[in-house]
Amino acid sequence: MPEPRTDLDAARRRLLDTDFARPLPDTVVLTVRGEIDTLTAPAFTAAVTELADTPEPTLVVDLTGVRFLASSGLAVLINAAHRVETRGSRLRLVAVTRAVLRPLEITGTEQLFDLHADLASALAGGSD
Amino acid sequence: MTDLDSPSPAETFDGASTVEIRTSASAALIPTIRAVASDLAARADFDLDAISDLRMAVDEACATLVDVAAPTSSLRCTFLVRPERIEVHAQVETKHADAVVSTDTFGWRVLQTLADEVSVLHRPGGDGAAPTVGIRLDKRSGDAPR
Repeated sequence: MPEPRTDLDAARRRLLDTDFARPLPDTVVLTVRGEIDTLTAPAFTAAVTELADTPEPTLVVDLTGVRFLASSGLAVLINAAHRVETRGSRLRLVAVTRAVLRPLEITGTEQLFDLHADLASALAGGSD
Repeated sequence: MTDLDSPSPAETFDGASTVEIRTSASAALIPTIRAVASDLAARADFDLDAISDLRMAVDEACATLVDVAAPTSSLRCTFLVRPERIEVHAQVETKHADAVVSTDTFGWRVLQTLADEVSVLHRPGGDGAAPTVGIRLDKRSGDAPR
């Protein structure tokens, strides 16, 4: 039974939600909600790439609403962190859930990011 | 262990409870499989990190296999739940006998970190049987000192 493409598209929309905001001058926040896996990785990649392409110096990915993060999504974040680093900056992550913190911890990739427990602290800058 | 199709007699009689899920080999159904993995680990009193690790490991294994699965084939995932660990066998039929799971990827390295044991099993098929690729992984309920 060939799978109708629309099923996959519907599943993608159900699983992941991305939004951009500019709450402060020079600051862009990408808010991600849902599950980042092989199905939603393309949408997540597109959103994170768009973020990393913006000229603003302060870039934040708010992962508070992320319930699952697969290695495919983690690889996207790592690439973005490296790109932001070449501009002399650090990618800020808002990470609260075990679903996000555990993959960062077990792969030893936490130190690539400025981690924050909430958006206010990420906007204020520095590192937790 | 060379046969992913059925638990060996030792496994049947050593008190493991077995849960088997069969889905279309589609990425859209992996969230269901990892939800089952998570539920089984929680019920088996895995610690929270181990539950998270198993859920991610099962996702990684299934995503890897769906990538090489023959169109319209099935993904079969068997969980053997033991007191201190869960063993997972995931398997798909492949398009070609020489289809391989590449183990030089970031995803595979993450999978090796998440699971306590992980291995790949390629079977070329023949005699009317389709070729298959399987991944077997083992996860203990709590982090043993490394």
